[in-house]
Amino acid sequence: MPVYNAPLLSIDAKETRRYAGLQKAVDFDEEKILAACEDARLMAAPKGIWEVYDYDCENQIIKSAPPCTIQGQKIGQHLAGCEKIIALSATVGEEVEEEVTRRFNAGEYSTAVIMDAAATAAVEQIADGMEKALTPKMAAQGFAMKWRFSPGYGDWPLEQQPELIRLAHADKIGVSLSSSLMLMPRKSITAIIGLYRKQAETAPSHSPHGCAMCNKTDCPSRKQ
Amino acid sequence: MCKIEIFDGAMGTMLQAGGLQPGACPELMNIENPDVVKNIHNAYIEAGATIIETNTFGASPLKLEHYGLTDRMAELNTAAVKIAKAAAKGRAKVAGSMGPTGRFIEPLGDLSFDEAYQNFYDQAKALAEAGAHFLIIETCIDIQEMRAALLAAKDACDIPVICQLSYSEDGRTVTGTDPQSAAILLDAMGADIIGVNCSLGPEELVPIVKTLAENCTCPISVLPNAGMPYLKDGHTVFPMGPEDFGKWGVKLLEAGASYLGGCCGTTPEHIRELAKAVKDMPLPERRLPAKKLWLTSRSKSVCIDKSLPTRLIGERINPTGRKKLAAEIRDGSLLGVKKEAVNQVKAGAHLLDVNMGVGGIDQAAAMKKAVTEIAQLTDAPLAIDTSDAEALEAGLKAYPGRALINSVSYEPERIAQFLPLAKKYGAAILCLPITPDGVPKTAEERITVMHKIIAAAKEAGLDDGDFLLDALVMTVSADKNACYEVLITLQMYRERFGYPTTMGLSNISFGLPNRPLINSTFFAMCLAAGLDAPIMNPYDESMQKALMASAALLGDDPNGLAYSKNEANLAVPKAAATAKVTELSPLEAIKQAVIDGEKDEIPLLVENALKAGMAANTITEQALTAAMTDIGVDFGAGRMFLPQVLLSAETMRAAFNKIKELTPASTAPEQGTVVIATVKGDVHDLGKNITGALLANSGFKLIDLGKDVDSTDIVRAAIENNADIVGLCALMTTTMVQIDKVIEDLKEAGCNAKVMVGGAAVTQEYADSAGADAYAPDGVKAVELAKELVQK
Repeated sequence: MPVYNAPLLSIDAKETRRYAGLQKAVDFDEEKILAACEDARLMAAPKGIWEVYDYDCENQIIKSAPPCTIQGQKIGQHLAGCEKIIALSATVGEEVEEEVTRRFNAGEYSTAVIMDAAATAAVEQIADGMEKALTPKMAAQGFAMKWRFSPGYGDWPLEQQPELIRLAHADKIGVSLSSSLMLMPRKSITAIIGLYRKQAETAPSHSPHGCAMCNKTDCPSRKQ
Repeated sequence: MCKIEIFDGAMGTMLQAGGLQPGACPELMNIENPDVVKNIHNAYIEAGATIIETNTFGASPLKLEHYGLTDRMAELNTAAVKIAKAAAKGRAKVAGSMGPTGRFIEPLGDLSFDEAYQNFYDQAKALAEAGAHFLIIETCIDIQEMRAALLAAKDACDIPVICQLSYSEDGRTVTGTDPQSAAILLDAMGADIIGVNCSLGPEELVPIVKTLAENCTCPISVLPNAGMPYLKDGHTVFPMGPEDFGKWGVKLLEAGASYLGGCCGTTPEHIRELAKAVKDMPLPERRLPAKKLWLTSRSKSVCIDKSLPTRLIGERINPTGRKKLAAEIRDGSLLGVKKEAVNQVKAGAHLLDVNMGVGGIDQAAAMKKAVTEIAQLTDAPLAIDTSDAEALEAGLKAYPGRALINSVSYEPERIAQFLPLAKKYGAAILCLPITPDGVPKTAEERITVMHKIIAAAKEAGLDDGDFLLDALVMTVSADKNACYEVLITLQMYRERFGYPTTMGLSNISFGLPNRPLINSTFFAMCLAAGLDAPIMNPYDESMQKALMASAALLGDDPNGLAYSKNEANLAVPKAAATAKVTELSPLEAIKQAVIDGEKDEIPLLVENALKAGMAANTITEQALTAAMTDIGVDFGAGRMFLPQVLLSAETMRAAFNKIKELTPASTAPEQGTVVIATVKGDVHDLGKNITGALLANSGFKLIDLGKDVDSTDIVRAAIENNADIVGLCALMTTTMVQIDKVIEDLKEAGCNAKVMVGGAAVTQEYADSAGADAYAPDGVKAVELAKELVQK
């Protein structure tokens, strides 16, 4: 179970704006966003872990011990043609969310909300950093990577979170589930990345990605 | 000193062609099929390779764990060297190959620096003892792993060590190190040859080779892939043919490399063409960099030099005389230290001094932790400030860059302990002219001591480019010549040594009134006398101003452009702010301030309105509530966004607080009581908090039960507080069902409170079917609905 705690040299202010629902608020004080990003970064303890498994895409079975059958059509389609998968987990730790609550209770409502958004941007960046480190490793073995897919996307039921926690060894980085299947710390990610053998000159057939695949078109955080 | 040498090419693909099975350990071929390995070596030597690499890329103890072969590590490495030497028959030299462990070193991963060191030490020893002529540490993507491997290789043997990192297309290693920082650091640590291999083709590596060559004095090696790979029919294909590959050899030579070879996708034919292309080439003359003082972090290099602008060394990570910071460090918390790191860099510090001098703690552990955390947080290089040799080594070992040691005096212990550590870890040293007899008073005496320190340092293997000279500041109230001697010392340092200079400034004003004035005046004088890198408080405005002005005066800021810009920026915002406020009536101004979220300005506006005889109720209704109504409209129309609404709520809160403070008798009219909670099983409370804050600042009495709240607790609180409304929040489909339960329990208990529900997964339909009285899609709507509900 390889560990890579991708460093956070800064938190992306633009993504933080997006998660805070401020994409269209062009005149919102940039200094305030940057300060919240810095404060969130001080509290963040980036951690990441992953494991590679063989995958039977015909039957949607991850060949772990014991094996795991993935439920959901969307994820099945997404992983079509993949020979292996990476199960990964990333987190910024608990301290950020504790600080968000402290700020809220101290009446710093807007800062709290922006810090919360910064923590979301941060955990995505940590997972992005892991992907960046994984890409050449996988390429050396002849594999290209699909984009990461998490329980709750499409029709992949949250009930499979415990399996994903097991596959990624997420407990080793302090990520666990509440009885109602919520990730703890809240700002954590579990995901699967499909590994396929890319053909030369043919563009890989990726399904719509990220916001584009989501039906909630009025979401304030939808990527423009 | 060097000539062109030709390395061999890829080994793995040729082993596969020779019968290596997928999933088998390639190094086991050294024992089980030595002829295959030998034939590969032969093919490369016949193609023109003058150095061949042993088949030991994955033969380190940690890598061999994968095949359960760790206990055969020495055997596999020894066999590999023997095969290579037998193949070479004196025609080529043998380089013992050491690849990465495949794991990341703390804090990026879970492998400790010491474990990594031991891993490489064992392999290096085995390779050297078997008779390898070089060690080649290659394909590393983490500078910490390279540092561990280089230290281990140098400790294990005396043969030359080649250090090759792999860079991605953005010109940095995956973990963020740029070739300039790598070259400076590895050169200082004593690498014999510095280079790059794998990941990229020769074309992409030309600029990287150039940067390496410009930043170190050792020879440069480059082993590119045969172009950028793609996959075809399940196989990795490298597009560059032998002839094209060979042509790039000349460009790589011109860029500064003298050791050329191939990595993935290259074959004996590639090496033949490469050797042919450069065979008759004279080695292009390489302009070696001047020895200047460079310091590096994982991802950035900083130079201190008289030809460059002043570099600030931030002094704030130091618990001396700071009780709160000291207590935090003692408790093992680094939050204060981390804040100081980030804030000093923001305030303009180029380097950070790190001092963990708190009594009664494990200094070495504290320094290791601080250095590790700060290095993850900022890219400013660090100065490790300690008198404890153990703490110094812990800090140097943990640091993924070239640090500055603060400090080396002419005291026997420091000379004996600190200088070897500086040499080993490639650190620079801050030289302090103090002897066991104390501080020399005059400039002339300081120069004499400094000569002795430099001589001892050079004896220990340090060189020009490793020194930063401290002019030693004493207190002017105790010695009237203190300032004068410093100025002379600075001038003499520049004349006699030419090394850059530093000092801790604030000591000068000890015991005098208005210390900032003395400090900034002294600072300006020192800058003129040749001070390059002061150790100071970067938040100190008077010092920053003195620096700005001095830069303009001394020509570091040509024509005072930066100075002018800074002064102009300072003048603008104040004027704008006053203009806005004066144009509006007091009530309009308060209303506008709420809408704009001017939290800091509103107390004064409210105070003025009250003093002018306005009733508290009038302010509340006509300015504050009116503002919230406008905000609700703008929010609904998508002209205003949640964080802005919350900023307005904060501003409302500040206004209410001021009204309460000045007219305690006036009670705001209460709209009703709301009990609010995130339901059991759900730990998301931001949405609930937002709604609560907006309700509380719209005149509702709020009882917030928090998150993950059991139904019985919600029911009890609703009854005890005679709630008008119960607000329930659930974020996920898995926790939403709790809403039904709470509503049922409320009815069963005979509670008449209206129920309002919300949360990401909740919809109007769900609210209806659960029997809720209202569904609020957001906090602003919740306030509107709450007002309607209490009037029903």
